[in-house]
Parts: sequence; C-alpha cells; structure tokens
Amino acid sequence: MNLKRKAVVSLMGLTLAVAAGVAGAKQTVKIVFIGPLTGGVSANGIGGRNSADLAVRLKNEDPKAKYSYELVSYDDECKPNIAVQVATKAAADNSIIAGVTHYCSVTAVATVDTYHKFGLPVVVWGAVLPSITYGNKYAEVHRVNGTMINQNEVAAKFMTGMKYKKWVIIHDTTDYGKGHNQYFSEYLKKAGGQIAGTFGVTADQQDFTTELTKAKELKPDVIYFGGLTPLGVRIRSQMEKLGVNAVFEGTSGIKSDAFVEGLGKQLAEGSLSFIEGAPWEKLPGGLYFAGKYALQKYNEPPEAYGPFAFAAANLIIDAIEKVGPNRKKVTSELGKTKDRDSIVGKITFDDHGQNIVPLITKYVAQDGKWVVWEDSEYGSGKRKLKGQ
Amino acid sequence: MAGVTVFAVLFLHAESQEEVMGLTLGAAAALLLLARFGWNALAAVSFAGHSRTGQAAVLIGVLIIAAVFYDQHFPLLMLASVLLYIVVCLGLNLQFGYAGVLNFAGAAFFGVGCYTAAVLTSHTSLPHLAVVLIGGLMAAGIGSLLILPVLRTHGHYAALVTIAFSILFRVFLEVNDTLGGPQGMKVQGMEILGWKLNDSLAFGEIEISFYANYVVLALVMAAVAFMLVRRLERSWIGLNLDAVRLDETACAAFGIDVARWKITAFTLGNFLTGLAGSVYAMMTGFVAPNSFTFGDSLILVSIVILGGLGNPWGLSVAAAIVLMLPEKLQFIQEYRLLLYAALVILILLFRPGGLMPRQVRSYLPGWKP
Amino acid sequence: MTLGLLSQYVFNSLMLGMIYAMVAVGFTLFFGVLDIIKFSHGDVLMVGAFTGLATYLGLEALGVDSALVQLLVMTLVATLSMALLGALIAKYLVLPLRLAPPLNTLLLTLMLGTVLREAVRLFYPQGSNPKPFPRLLPADSISFGSFTLRADSVILLLAGLAAIVAVHLLINRTKLGLAIRAVAQDAETARIMGINFEFIVLLTFAIGSGMAALGGLMNGLYYNEINFGIGLLLGVIGFSAAVVGGLGNIYGAILGGFLFSALQSVGAVTLPALFPGTSTAYKDVFAFAVVIIFMVWRPTGLIAEKKSERV
Repeated sequence: MNLKRKAVVSLMGLTLAVAAGVAGAKQTVKIVFIGPLTGGVSANGIGGRNSADLAVRLKNEDPKAKYSYELVSYDDECKPNIAVQVATKAAADNSIIAGVTHYCSVTAVATVDTYHKFGLPVVVWGAVLPSITYGNKYAEVHRVNGTMINQNEVAAKFMTGMKYKKWVIIHDTTDYGKGHNQYFSEYLKKAGGQIAGTFGVTADQQDFTTELTKAKELKPDVIYFGGLTPLGVRIRSQMEKLGVNAVFEGTSGIKSDAFVEGLGKQLAEGSLSFIEGAPWEKLPGGLYFAGKYALQKYNEPPEAYGPFAFAAANLIIDAIEKVGPNRKKVTSELGKTKDRDSIVGKITFDDHGQNIVPLITKYVAQDGKWVVWEDSEYGSGKRKLKGQ
Repeated sequence: MAGVTVFAVLFLHAESQEEVMGLTLGAAAALLLLARFGWNALAAVSFAGHSRTGQAAVLIGVLIIAAVFYDQHFPLLMLASVLLYIVVCLGLNLQFGYAGVLNFAGAAFFGVGCYTAAVLTSHTSLPHLAVVLIGGLMAAGIGSLLILPVLRTHGHYAALVTIAFSILFRVFLEVNDTLGGPQGMKVQGMEILGWKLNDSLAFGEIEISFYANYVVLALVMAAVAFMLVRRLERSWIGLNLDAVRLDETACAAFGIDVARWKITAFTLGNFLTGLAGSVYAMMTGFVAPNSFTFGDSLILVSIVILGGLGNPWGLSVAAAIVLMLPEKLQFIQEYRLLLYAALVILILLFRPGGLMPRQVRSYLPGWKP
Repeated sequence: MTLGLLSQYVFNSLMLGMIYAMVAVGFTLFFGVLDIIKFSHGDVLMVGAFTGLATYLGLEALGVDSALVQLLVMTLVATLSMALLGALIAKYLVLPLRLAPPLNTLLLTLMLGTVLREAVRLFYPQGSNPKPFPRLLPADSISFGSFTLRADSVILLLAGLAAIVAVHLLINRTKLGLAIRAVAQDAETARIMGINFEFIVLLTFAIGSGMAALGGLMNGLYYNEINFGIGLLLGVIGFSAAVVGGLGNIYGAILGGFLFSALQSVGAVTLPALFPGTSTAYKDVFAFAVVIIFMVWRPTGLIAEKKSERV
C-alpha cells in the first residue's frame, strides 16, 4: 500500500507541475465537444469533433485572442444514458464554459435538462429533432442547424413540383427516421403527393429485400428514405438488385461523402438529399473552412455536419471573447445572436435558441459528387432524373 | 481498506491521461505485489474472520468517498451508478453464479424496471417507493414468461433463449410508439415522503449535490441486497442452489426440487435487477431503448465473470472497474472500446477465475479447507 | 399475391438463408469438437469480407482486371487468411481456456469480436463508413412478371451450396473428417486412439473460419456493400440458427439458417397484412419470439444431439 501511495503522490505532484507550466501568458478556457466517436455513425461524430477542434486551433493561432482555448471531447456513443453521463460530467465541471453538443437527436433530447439544471450553455451542431429546442424553453440550449421540419417542407414541395406522384417511404425506426417520416408525409399530403406504402426498418438491418420486393409491387415513382448513410447505401444498392426503378430521395442523413463512396459513382447518380443552411461550398467562409481543414491533415473528412460544428464552436468562442469565461454571461450573449455571418449562412436564434434558417439547400449526386441542384446538370435540364 | 478508499477518491478525481494511466498501473502493480507475497490470501482469511468489520469498513469507505465529493455531481453520479449496478449484478450472480441459470438479458430486465418507473411516475401519482417495488415485481413478472423455456433448456440452448429475449425486447421498444419509441421517455425525479431527491440540499454556504441523495439510497439498496445474497449463500438455500448448478441429476436423486430452485433464483435475480433499474431511471431522468441492448447485457455478464463467478465481493470490485474504466478512458476517445475489450481478454486469459475467485464457504471464522 | 411475387420472396429468403447457414455451420463445427460457442465468428466473417476487398483493391492497383482472376485470388486470400486467423484464435485464446467455465470462453470470444470490429473501424482506411464491394459477377437478369432472377444471385446460391457440400464430404468421406468426428464424439478416447487432438481442433477452427470468409465474400458480392458492423447481427443469427437446428449437427445448422430467414420473411410479409399499421421492423421481434417458443417445444433443437446422460 505504501509503495502505491508514494507513487500516486509523486505522480500527482508531477501533473500539478505540468499543469502550472502550461498556464502561462493567457488564461485557458475549456470548451466541451460531445458527439458519437464510436459506433455506427462515428464518421459524423469524428468529422464534427475535428471541425470543432479546427475552430479552436485557428483561434489559438490568433495572437489577438484574449484567451487560449482547449477543446475537451467526450463520446456519447449515440446512447442517451451515456450522453446524460458525459453531459453531467461536462456540465458539473466548472472549468468548462460552454459546449458544442450532439449529433444524435436521442442524446440531445436526453441531455437538455442536464444542461439547464447545471446552467451550461450549449450549441447543438447536428441533431435535427424539433423538440430539442422547442420541447422546452431553456436559455442554455441553442442550435445552429435547422430542424427536420424545414427540410421536409422543401423536399415535399420540390418533388411534387417535378410532377412525381407516388411515393414509398422507408424510414429507420430511430427518432430521426420516424420524425422524417412524420413531417415528410404531412407536407407531401398537403402538396398533393400519394404515399403508397410506408416501411419502418431497424437501424442495424442488413437485408431489405423483403421490404423492397413489396415496394416494387407498389410501383412508386420515388422512394423516400428517412435515415442515415449506412442504411441509405444498403437500400439503394438493394433497389438495384431487385430492379426497383425509382428515384432515390434521401434526407440530410445521406448527404455525406461516405454515401457516394459506398455506392460508387453509377449507383449514387441521381440520388437527392436536402440539408439545412446555405451551401457552404459556395460561401467564402466555407472555402476558407475547407482549406484550413485540409491543412490540419485530419484523417477523416468533416462530413455534412462538420461545418455546423465549426460554426457552433466559433459562436461560442466569439461570445467568450466578448463577455469573458462566465457561463451565465455566455448564455445571454449566445441568446442575442442575430444575423451573424457564419460558414453555414446567417445565424439568428429565436427565443427557443433555434436558428431560424431561411434556406434549405437541395443536392443531387452527379458523377460521384454531391452537387447543389441549381448548379447541376440536372438543374439545367442537361440530365434527367428517372421518370422525367 | 483505507488505502482502497484513498485510491477510489484519487481515481474519481483523475482527469488527465497521465493520472489515469499512473493510477491504473499503480493499482495493477499493487495487486501483483499483493499476490506475489500471498498477502491477498492473508487478507481473505482476515476478511472471513472479521466479515462484520470488513463490511462496516466498506460502508464507511463509500460514505467517505461521497463526503469528499459532496458538491461535485459527476463523481457522485458515477458512484451511485456503480452501487446500482452492484445490485443488478448481485441478482445475476444469484442466477448463474449460484443456480447456474444463464441470463444474457440482464439489461432487458433492467430496462423493464426503468420503463416501469417512467410510465408510473408520469401517468400515476403512486408513491415513488411503491414504484420502485413495482419495477422489481414487473421485471420478475416478465421474467416468469421465460421460465418455461429456461427450465426446459440447458447450457447454450438456455443462453439462446435469453439472448433472443434481449434482442426482441430492444427491437420491441424501438418499434413500439406507446412507450416513446426510439426517443425514449422522460422520468421524474424520486420523491420520498415529500423529500425530493432531485433537489440539492443546502446548509448555509455548503451545497450538497443532489446525487448524494441517490448515493445514500443506492448504498442502502446495495447493502441490503448484498446481505441478502450473502445470507442466502451461507444458508441451506445457497447449498441447494450450488447443488443444482453442479449436477442436476444428482440433485434430483437427493430429492432437491431442481425446477423450484431455478425459478426462485431466476425470479429473485430479476426482481433485484428491476428494482435497481427503476431507481436508475429516476436518477438519470431519461430512458431510451438504446440503453438496453444485447451489448449492455453482455457488460453485466462480464462484470459477474470478471469479478469471479459467485463472489459478491469480486463483482462489486468488478462493477466499479467496468463502469469507471471506460469513462476514465475518454481521453483516448475513439480507441477506448478497443482497449477495453482487449483488457477483458487479458484478464480472462491470465486470471481465468476472475479477479477474486469464489472461496469455499466457511461456516467457522478462520476455518481453512 | 401473385406467383411471381411469391417466388421473389422465396428466392430472397433462400439467399439470406444460405448466408445464415454458412455462419451457423461454423458455430456447430466448433461446438462439435470443443463444446464451446465462439461468438467472434460473425466478426471473422466481416474481417474476411474486408480482406477480400483489400485484395481486390490490391489487384486493381497491380493492373489485374480479369474479373475471374480477381474473384479466384480474392476467395483464396480471404479464405486462407481467415482459416489462419481461426486457427490462431483457437490456439492462443480458446484452447488455453479449455478448463475454465464455458461462460468464460463465451465472454472472451465476444470481446474478441469487439476487438476485431473496432480494429477494422479504426485501422482500415475510412473503416467506419460503408464500403462498396465490387460487382464481379455477371449481372444479367431474367424477369418473370414481378420476379427478377439475376445471374449473380444464382451463382452465389450455387457457390454456397457447393461449399456446404464440400464440407459435408470432407467430414463424412475423408480420414480427417473421421478424426474430427471422433474428437467430437469423445475427445479422450480419440486421443487414446492416437489422434492429434490439438491439430484436429485447430483444423476445425480453420475450416469453420474459412467458411465464414466465404460467407463474408458472398455477403459482399450479393449486397455490393460491406461495413464493419455486419458481423454482430450475423453472429447472433448464425448462433440462433445453429442452436435451433441442434448444436453439433451440420444439417441442423443449415436447416436452422433457412428456417430463420424464412421466419424473418414471413414476419415482414404477414405481420403488416394481419395487423394493419404494424411496421415491418417487428419481423425480428416475431422471429426471435418464435425461436423462444420453439425452444420450449424442442429444448435441444430440431435435430437433437445424441448423447446419453452419464450419472
């Protein structure tokens, strides 16, 4: 026992010394990042983590910055119980001033109470379920990305405008897929589309031949898929296998490089997806982001929501620069955000802390890349979607 | 004992990479040293001789840890979770440590308790202590659906029954909308006789984290469950359960009712699991199907095996390690699951009996087999 | 339901059943010789599929572009390397635990599965994303009404059948097979008869893991997509199939595999028809519930183990 205690004590001393050495000229301010770093959707989580990390690194390179920042990253595994655990850990740690939190809606919904209880201001960077911001009126909770409501309204109107009539909906049974199913069905009916069939599938399902055989029988013009990339890849490639000849319409969940890569150029061609925010590839800030991201040589791409994590981290950093590392002040400063320029377009928080995004961008897969619809050969009429 | 308490405090405190690695290695080295000089055998003997004192010391140790962190939420949350997991694993230990009834659906029964709490607290005004009790009863009740298949099958076949149940349960929760679907449900905080456990206590300047309330509650539950399991083990019931596990045929020949004891162990184990589940749900305030996957059941099983099958002390230590280590390994982020699995494999290879293998029962203090 | 639609369902389910059966055969082989369950089996399948993919990419880089050569080399490399992996797992992880409680082996192999899964996710380039698997088989198809029969699916089905027949012949017609059966029946007596116990165990693990690699390639060629998570569910289902069929019996495992896929299809097709508004995702609830009920009826599987209780 003695030996162990000695070792521990000397070790503690060592760490203290190291810690003292680091804190030099500027005060260090901690920000937390929470997202899925392990498991099926970890690609998105790691992309978000890298993007938030980029924001922090860029600020630290800036000699005019008042504080030096440190990003603490926690893994929520996309599981609510783990999320509550790490959220409590972050929120109860007084050295952490604010957080860039959650990709999975289920974890974000589970943790908003925790953030409110402990008064930690957070900016959600990826979760799209409306009730995260609209379920309560917590001053601490903000969100830079839009909700799935906006996305589906545009998606439904756009597709009925293209004279498609008959849909089959396949959605995963997570909150994400179910929510998309709900809002898309709602808006589609309003816009006059017909839903021939709806299939709920589990998020780890591999084989969809049974569902797709049934869907084929219903002869839809469009297959709408509410879910994330891994499932989207499987369903699209099995559609081919069974000869289901319909347009594949996805959601923000499949707008990832992994989707196109996973399917290959040919199969991905003509798939659609809708995402909140301005097309960051076209904004000057977006190019700056992409360039800086490439410079840092991260092993993984930022994925679709990386820019949002970057924007969220920047909002927080700017607020801290302005009012100092104080949670209450940062919370109220974040609440005042209005017409702020960011790489995902203007950001304005409403009284629920929700960014009222005026813009939804439509993407189509063309030659192995996601291209903004208006810039694509489909948009110009040079190529045609199926059934046009 | 004091050393262990100090260690626990330091470990809960440790944040940085160096600290966690240092402490983990330190503990491993200390354990190796102990084993090398045969001190742990001595410790075991003295423990057996003074079990009252030993148990009291552990209780005091936990309370000291809680007192050290009185205003820090996170360590207390971890502590309370560990205590509740100990209750669950005690239940599982009854099932396959003693009676030999395999259960790979521990997380599912835990989930039954959680969901019972969620539904009852939001739709009824039952007193919350009753809710906890009903949570346990529900788990035992749903478990009884599995009794027939479990009794009819043996070994790996029985394992399949519970594995199938745990997958079925998760998918069912996810697809079923009335229980909140994949989004899960919110759960109210616990309230005992007007005392709200989710409010922090404040004495003048000092504010005590509300998790401290749950630590005390969980500690009481763990202590009661622990004593219950120990008593059962030492009694003729424990002897019967062991006999059932070791040889059913011989058992039946000696007139022991195999089915009866299997049912007793299975139901009692599930009851404990459900009980802990409902408190856990009220503490975290949220339940969702993702928390009750087959993988989570496996974590529970691995706690019992790592601790040393059939040893309540061992599983308590293992519960603390299994819950806290992945958490403390957050600094290696995406690599932690890999490292954790590799660690478990190493332990199984080099300590096949678990960290603290079960000792032969001793009825007389200081008696050696 | 039209005949065409029905045959489409039957064909889908046969294809799925073939993959399940190949996994189940592995489980049942391991159980036969060592009385253990090796839960990392599904993940070995996944590693096999990834090995195949890496081989394909390597061949492409070398400029070999004949589909037939690529296919042969991929199969060879994947099967042999998984056979080696299986034997290594048996030698260093499973055999040392022979005397420990069976639960320990189960836990150890489960953890091994996690290690394999996480290793592929972290160390295969971009391993956490789904990967496209090359289409190397002819994709010609014939349609009969709503039934589309594709050449590649038929080839895969036949290949799976051939693999199973080959294992059957190996076990029942060769001297090695005789030794495997002898060890399965009574390891101690087999040893006395001069059979190299360890060698036979390693060999069995190699055969089973090679089968898994084939299953992984089939999976990849059929779905044209693989990801690091395919092993987990396939492992559980393969295990269920082996148990439902009766552990230790190859025919049982095959039967169990097809039975399970049939249950899933029936569940997905009939449940929403019987109870309007139910989602097809209930098919797994249905399949596993039937398995539990089935175990009450046949506690030792379809084809029960032949053993006498020694008292």
